Amino acid sequence: MMRTALFALPLAAGVLAAQTPVQADTSDRRPAMPVLKVDIPPAGTLVAITNATILTASHGTIENGTVIIRNGKIASVGTGLAVPAGAQVIDGKGKFIMPGIIDAHSHSAAESINEGSRSNTAMVRIEDVLREDAIGLYRSLAGGVTTLNVLHGSANTVGGQNAVVKLRWGLPVDSLLFAGAPPGIKFALGENVRQTNVPQTPGRTPRYPRTRMGQEELLREVFTRAREYQAEWKAYADATTQRRKDAKLAEPIPPRRDLQLDAMVEILEGKRLVHAHSYRSDEILMLLKVAKDFNFRIASLQHVLEGYKIADEIAAAGSGASTFADNWAYKLEAFDAIPFNAALMAERGVKVSINSDSDERARRLYQEAAKAMKYGGASEEEAIRMITLNAAWQLGVDKLTGSIDVGKDADIAIFNGHPFAPASRVEMTLIDGRVFFDRNKAPTLDALIEAIKRRPRANTTSGGDR
Amino acid sequence: MRLTPAVRALWLASALLPHATAPLTAQSDTWALTNARIQTVTRGVIEKGTILIRKGLIEAVGPSVPVPADARVLDLAGKTVTPGLFDLTSSLGLPTAPTPGTGGVGAGAPGGGAAQQAPAAPRQGMSPERRIATEIRLTATDVKPIRDAGITAVLVSPSRGLFRGMSALVPLRDDADAGTVIKSAVAEHIGYQGVQGDYPQTLIGVIAYQRQAFYDAQRQGMLQDRYRSNPRGMERPENDPGLEALVPVVRGQVPAFIEASSENEIRRAVRLAREFNLKMTIVGATEGWEALDALAGRPAVVSVNFPAPTAVTGWSYRLSQRRTPGDSASSAREAQKLIEGNAAALNKAGVKFALASGGSRDFLPNVRKAVAAGLPAPVALEALTIRAAEIAGVGEMLGSIEAGKIANLVVSNTDILADSARVSAVFVDGIRYEVAPPPPARTGSGGGPGGGGAPAAQVAGAWAMALTSPQGPLDITVMLVQNGASFNGTMTSQLGSQEISDGQITGRNVTWTSTVQFGGQSITLNYRGEVDGNRMTGSADLGSFGSATFTAERKP
Repeated sequence: MMRTALFALPLAAGVLAAQTPVQADTSDRRPAMPVLKVDIPPAGTLVAITNATILTASHGTIENGTVIIRNGKIASVGTGLAVPAGAQVIDGKGKFIMPGIIDAHSHSAAESINEGSRSNTAMVRIEDVLREDAIGLYRSLAGGVTTLNVLHGSANTVGGQNAVVKLRWGLPVDSLLFAGAPPGIKFALGENVRQTNVPQTPGRTPRYPRTRMGQEELLREVFTRAREYQAEWKAYADATTQRRKDAKLAEPIPPRRDLQLDAMVEILEGKRLVHAHSYRSDEILMLLKVAKDFNFRIASLQHVLEGYKIADEIAAAGSGASTFADNWAYKLEAFDAIPFNAALMAERGVKVSINSDSDERARRLYQEAAKAMKYGGASEEEAIRMITLNAAWQLGVDKLTGSIDVGKDADIAIFNGHPFAPASRVEMTLIDGRVFFDRNKAPTLDALIEAIKRRPRANTTSGGDR
Repeated sequence: MRLTPAVRALWLASALLPHATAPLTAQSDTWALTNARIQTVTRGVIEKGTILIRKGLIEAVGPSVPVPADARVLDLAGKTVTPGLFDLTSSLGLPTAPTPGTGGVGAGAPGGGAAQQAPAAPRQGMSPERRIATEIRLTATDVKPIRDAGITAVLVSPSRGLFRGMSALVPLRDDADAGTVIKSAVAEHIGYQGVQGDYPQTLIGVIAYQRQAFYDAQRQGMLQDRYRSNPRGMERPENDPGLEALVPVVRGQVPAFIEASSENEIRRAVRLAREFNLKMTIVGATEGWEALDALAGRPAVVSVNFPAPTAVTGWSYRLSQRRTPGDSASSAREAQKLIEGNAAALNKAGVKFALASGGSRDFLPNVRKAVAAGLPAPVALEALTIRAAEIAGVGEMLGSIEAGKIANLVVSNTDILADSARVSAVFVDGIRYEVAPPPPARTGSGGGPGGGGAPAAQVAGAWAMALTSPQGPLDITVMLVQNGASFNGTMTSQLGSQEISDGQITGRNVTWTSTVQFGGQSITLNYRGEVDGNRMTGSADLGSFGSATFTAERKP
């Protein structure tokens, strides 16, 4: 949102964007966290969480339930389960456990998020600029978040490739990546792309496109070009096959590999998920039409503040919607937002998630989800899904995480009360069955500052799951 | 030595000029350095021996080398002779103004599409074909202060940009020029600075651009090979100097020197090198101790231009918490210890590295700090000599005192890394250069002037500043008005115009702050720089936005 818009500027925006009230806290560039010594249990520990209230997100609430975790996966869940010998037991008495929270819109963990020099930067990759030491990551972990969709900014019609990460705090940067998450990409529509908030340099031609119709033209143009590019490679493959049969033929010359078009072709082939920043219903309908004409699906509409107006069309397109709970009116195109948006879209069959787009909101997304119950009357489980299973579905990882079900990654948040109760807080956060956050052991801010003096990195022997 | 075509052409051209017909070593005499303590580096120490120099080469070395009749004898009783030191991070002799590029690698690379625009400004730092050997312009005055510290060869490359060009190893002779260059190209130099107002502007764009350029270079090489073997019936490959310069790099024939300082920069460089199987050397590695696994098995040029603690310890985070930590002094010491212990940690982990100045004028004093922080002195000496030579690809010619090697030597009163070391003479290509003793008022040794007590640098006037941050580069015009050891002024850029406050000068070091207003809030930027004549380099603490680096040139 605001931040991403402003990042369209060169350095200026980078420096200034996060000075807006919404984003006052986003970008500690080199924070103290690498000094934080975290004792991460080894992978594969046998864990049992006993006697807890389990909000599964998929099949209701289990009272007095137990979750057994084996090799990082949920091995069994239910009542009356025997605790296996040798298991590390976490007493869940009086505690509520829910799937690890998934933030479907984040810019944490990236050192550089907006290559705003062109309106199509499909070739740039968040994975190239990940950072593991941003303090926002630790705070999110302390808010029960386990997975982030780290997105490019919204300066460009076609932004960069995203990175889905797990918050494996304390491990080197390569360990963040969520193995098995399909690749994705950021699209953006509306004012940020029009650069209506970017001061123009006199004498310099403003960047195309300047209007929403220009944005549609750009999309159709690049997808048309992508089809041609796809055909060039197909022709090359055919010619190679021909030559294998007939050595007298000239050796075919491969087309130039174009990383920008590679990404666009992957979208056409359904291998790359589109996450599209959008606000107004008219621009969303435009995008859905373009996607239909080129026969691909928009995986998630991001922000989508006017989604309630066109919930049926979004549902029919099979697209998810990832929105704010009650954040609006920060610019003209965000004026028609209502807090009932999430619940209304869900009611019409849209898979809805509630995201943060902010290091600050990311650490209390469970409170944001609760608002969907207050405004619009979503059921408790539906609201839980808005920050877990639905977000997982939007990111294409719902077979791996997002609910407390046997076989899934043991990504779990343990609360001292119901997550939607105002005073509840996260006691522990597990990723792949490993405790990455434990409030009892978590250092206070003072301790962190003390730790700066010592600054050893957590001992790392594994490279995560990649 | 394998000559690059450009250097060969230059040599051929210069051979036609009368002044250049003399051999490289015409100025060098036949010398016998007798009774010296000889630190050969590769073959131990000869407590009392002789080095015989002829035609710019070491003809013989040993405890009992006969002195020929034609040799000028220099009795070095009580002196130590060390191989000439290297600095593999230099921009000496390059034009101060950036050389306009040629439009970057590949016409319009990467990608096309409706959104593309013609570049408005020259694409600086995007010229892989740039041959530094042909650009070097040096005077004896430029060379002397560096050579006086015992440095006899520097690797010259531009200090900014994403494809900076091919470096040259330059001997620090008074007459150093393209003709006397020891080796060119040593490597293609690569970094992470983008281009203002054009693609790629930010870090994320820079890496994508580099990746596309290497794919394009792979294809260019393939097309050229095919065309060379049989042009009939084949479309002629496009002539693209930028891409052609990258072909041997992507094939691992020319090393890639990637400037990477922070842990994540190092990891990014290693990933790129793996992706294309580059022959890669990390340059900088000031946070190498955080990335030992990534550096393992790779050569590195380790800078001793120690970063200010704020850049690596997250004090910007602490400041953003609006706390006044009472422990800043002890934290600074602890952080400094880690930073200065970097080379020691790398050595302990088995990384083979050269030490380099990283642009600091306090090169040897900082090496001594690294030794004090745990780097064994013999390893430090190797890192300044034979390992540097090997990393520059001249291990057979330089880096130790052995018969047959080039006579680059340093004469000092004691071990060159001792605190009390004073250089009295330097030989480069067998040419003797005397070093006058430093004026008594100065503290430290060998690393040039500076430190406490020195008069305040003159900073008044207009400066063209280039600032680089992860969000992209920014050009700033800085106007300074000096009053003794303090100054004020303005900074003007596309962010508008800001007043400078708290401008302080201590010797060569300057600090100031400026405040940018935005959205009803103000953000305070803290600058810290080092003035070197008409040049200033340094960093800016951007508060909760981390840090940026800058270089500035005084406008005429």
